[in-house]
Order: sequence, then structure tokens, then C-alpha cells
Amino acid sequence: MDTDFANRRRRDLIVAFCLAAIAAVVPLFVKDVYVQNIMVLTLMYGALSQSWNILSGYCGQISLGHALYFGLGAYTTTILFTKFGVLPWFGMIGGGLISAVIAMALGYPCFRLRGHYFAIATIVIAEIALLLIQNWEWAGAALGITIPMSSDSWLKFQFARSKLPYFYFALGLVCVAWFVTWWLEDSKWGYWWRAVKDNPEAAESLGVVVFNSKMGAAAVSAFLTAVGGAFYAQFVSYIDPESVMGFHFSLLMALPAVLGGIGTLWGPMLGAVILIPVTELTRSFIGGSGRGVDLIVYGGLIIAISLARPQGLVSLFTPKRKEATR
Amino acid sequence: MTAPLLETRGVWQRFGGLVANSDVSISVGRGEIVGLIGPNGAGKSTLFNLIAGVLPPTQGTIWFDGEDVTALPAAERCVRGVARTFQVVKSFETMTVIDNVIVGALMRNTVMRVARRKAHEVLEFCGLAARANVLASDLVPSEKRRLEVARALATEPKLLLLDECLTGLTPIEAQTGVELVRKVRDTGVTILMVEHVMEIVMPLVDRAIVLDLGKVLVEGKPKDVVRDPKVITAYLGDRHAVGA
Repeated sequence: MDTDFANRRRRDLIVAFCLAAIAAVVPLFVKDVYVQNIMVLTLMYGALSQSWNILSGYCGQISLGHALYFGLGAYTTTILFTKFGVLPWFGMIGGGLISAVIAMALGYPCFRLRGHYFAIATIVIAEIALLLIQNWEWAGAALGITIPMSSDSWLKFQFARSKLPYFYFALGLVCVAWFVTWWLEDSKWGYWWRAVKDNPEAAESLGVVVFNSKMGAAAVSAFLTAVGGAFYAQFVSYIDPESVMGFHFSLLMALPAVLGGIGTLWGPMLGAVILIPVTELTRSFIGGSGRGVDLIVYGGLIIAISLARPQGLVSLFTPKRKEATR
Repeated sequence: MTAPLLETRGVWQRFGGLVANSDVSISVGRGEIVGLIGPNGAGKSTLFNLIAGVLPPTQGTIWFDGEDVTALPAAERCVRGVARTFQVVKSFETMTVIDNVIVGALMRNTVMRVARRKAHEVLEFCGLAARANVLASDLVPSEKRRLEVARALATEPKLLLLDECLTGLTPIEAQTGVELVRKVRDTGVTILMVEHVMEIVMPLVDRAIVLDLGKVLVEGKPKDVVRDPKVITAYLGDRHAVGA
């Protein structure tokens, strides 16, 4: 049994490595900038959803306010760079740390709420933060901040001519988020989180400090999300409150995980690979007069999945476990 | 050996106007199996929750292993060596049986490999080894009860609190449960069990404490307790109290 388990863990790692290697060579053949753009976004949302999955999937604390951490990451790097000349690389880490601290500060009151009440609190807090930034003159208010572009540079992490550096960074981000999840899954924290999700009272009786477990999950999740936000700011080189902190970001982080399989290792990535290209393609092909069609497709997908496969698409790959034991 | 492992001193619990426990002082010695019995509404479950640390008593103190644990939450008491099962089973339903037990085992062993090995040992001990990789939600009720015990044992407790873990089982299942409880005690774990079913508890326990209306009614050897007129009155009413 133990060897089965160890083999599965190793297999996951090998599969992930192969997929990353394949993904790394794809842009060498796909030169189309539009397609490359979609690939970057897919990887980014995969990473974000993977981060969201740590708090909401594994630990079961459904957050619909992750746009807050995304925005914090974006704003921290951008402000540090434009106002203080701090390189985005440090800004990313700084934004991540700030988000982690804020996630814990917000968690302190909010983790006393359960279920839907927690989810509602996260929405409200993210909306309040959005309004605050919109009215904060120094941070660009509703107009936002443009990141001044100079020459292509790895140091400043900005590239006007090619999408490839962004692609590889996003790929790296996905790999990090995936690997962190993989590593945490078979750690004390991973078990504690799943126990807290399934039954906090029983977890407490087994020596799990439920509150601290949630705080830990929130910090890791917020950190990774903020790094994603910082990346996005560099990628689009212009941010305003609505475009980095809007509610739809919270949804776009949650939906791939829900579609692919919430609380699973592969679910968020699988969900992102399906959902993001579908959204982008419907938006560009139907676009114009058919505005909102992408959202209809989206909603349809989610409804279909929740009816047919409530555990997410990942469960298609591991179907036999339940029946076999009956 | 002299100092009791668990002691409640003048414990009161009030819920608004309702007094669930009034001035309850009991003690459980090391290596004992003590049964906590009483009719419905006697305050057994409340006392049980106070000992497990789910809520603090309104008044009084709880001592465990020579330490005042009254103010400690459940998780802290688990660290000290108090483990419990739940009357209504609370398995981690989306996790496998082995993973359920690992959560408990991680309390003392933070290295995953050690915790996993420990969990396998406990499952073997509880007769659930064959079900290790099954989802907890797929277990039958008697197996879920055993999983509760296994999970609690994985935390390597000094005191195991069993909340009606033999109630609602078939006679054969209950009998294997009784054997498991004996086996646990033989490993040196002290047991305090709340039970309803007298026929099962009485042969099993070394000592019985009868609660009625939130107070300790009688305490003593099982065979004396069942004959005590006060106990018979509490369970069956005055008409059946035919005297000792």
C-alpha cells in the first residue's frame, strides 16, 4: 500500500515534468502572437487557480475575493517600480509578502465565519478594497498607472517585441504553484487542511489547531496569487483598479478549479486549459454584437460539469476507486 | 499510580437556565475502564464534552495527569493525551481510511513516513487494515465507529473517551467492539466510556458512574450499581424500585 502511494506521488511528478517540457517547446512551433497570448493567459490562470485551490479546495474555505490579492500583487510591483524604481522581481516578492500578511489579518476575523458567510465576507472585502484604490489619488485612482516601457530587459521584466519571456515566466509560475501543492499535499499541512475541510470539530479533537491551519492556507494562497498579479501587471504594462481587482478575477481563479476538480492536484490546471482558451476564442470570434456569448458558454460549461461530474473533470481519470470497493 | 489520571472537581455547566451538570466530581484512575451511564438527559454528553475540551465548564476545574486543563481547548488537550470519539461519527468523508488515521498520527509524528507507518499499525490493531484505501464515506456504520477509535488511538492518548461507540450496533458487532476496547486497555490506555446499553457496558467496565439530572447518583462496581435502588428509580421510575 505504501509503495502504491509512493508510486502515485512519483508518477504525478514525472507526468508534471513531461507536460512542462512539452509546454516549453510549444511556442517554438506556434509563432502566432494571438495564440501565444492565449497560452500565456492559460498558464497564468492555471497558476492562479492552483493557488486559489490551496485555500478553497484543500482547506475548504471558499474565497470569492482573491482578486484582492491579485490586485495587491499588481499594485505593489507597479508602485514600487514607477515611484521608487524597485525592480519588479523584488516587487513580486514584496507584493506576495504584503498579500500574505493582509490575508492573515483578514483571516483573523473572517475565519470565525463558516461556509457561505465566509465566502460573502471575502466578496465584500475585495469590493471595499477596489473602492479604496479607485479613490486613492497617489496610487493612480480610477485612471490607473502605466508602466513606462524602455527597452526589452529581463532586469525590468518588460518585453515589447516578444511574448516568449512572459510565456516562460508564466510556465515557471505554474510549475511552482503546482509543485508547492504537490509538496504540501503529502505534508502535515495538507492533511490538516483536508481534515479541516471535512470536519473541523473532529480535526480539533485530533490536535489540529483549525484556526492556524486556515491562516497557513490563506498565507500561501495569497502569496502565490499576488505573484500572479505582479506578473499580470508586467504583462499588460498598464493597470487600473477594475482591470486587476474586478470581481471577475475572483471568479476566473475559482472556476478552473471547480471545473477541473476542486481540492485536487490536477484539477485547476486541467480546468484552465479548457476554460481559458474557450473564453478567449468565443470572445474574439463572436465578440462585437455577440458580447457576453463567452459568458454564456462559460455558464453552460459549469452547469454541465456540476450536473454530470460534480467532482470535476479530473474524476474522469480516476473513476474506479469508489465502485471497486463496494 | 496514586493520583488519578482524570479528575473533575465540582464541575458545573449551565446553558441559560438549564443546569446540565451540577457539582460533578469524578475521577478516573490509570488503566481503568470507567463507564459513564445514566438515563437520557442526565448530562453525560455534556460532561463528556467538558472533559474533551469542546467547551469550558461554567464553574469548577478539570485535572488531567496532574495538570489543570480547564482552560485548554480540545486540540491542546489532545496534545496532553486526551483523545475522543464522537457519538455521531465525524469521519473525514472525502479522505481515505488511512488518510483519516494519518491526521491523528501526525499529532505525535511530523515526519510523513513515520506517521503513515503508525497509521497502518493502528489500522491493523483495529481490524481495518483491509479497508485502508477505501474512502471513509464508503464504510459501513460499524466500520466508521472503528475508524473513530483508530483515529483517536493514532494520537497515542493516555485517556480515550468513547462516546456511545457501541450503541446502535448488532450484537456481534458490539461484541467485537467490546473486545477492541479490552485490547486497547491492555496496551495501557485508560478508558472513559459513555454508554446506553447496560448489558454491554456492565461486564466491560471496572467501575460505573451513574449520572442523573446532572449529578453523580451512584458510583461503584457494576454489579452493585445495577442493583442500587436509586439507579433503578432513575431509569424506570419509583414503581420499580423494590429495594435492595
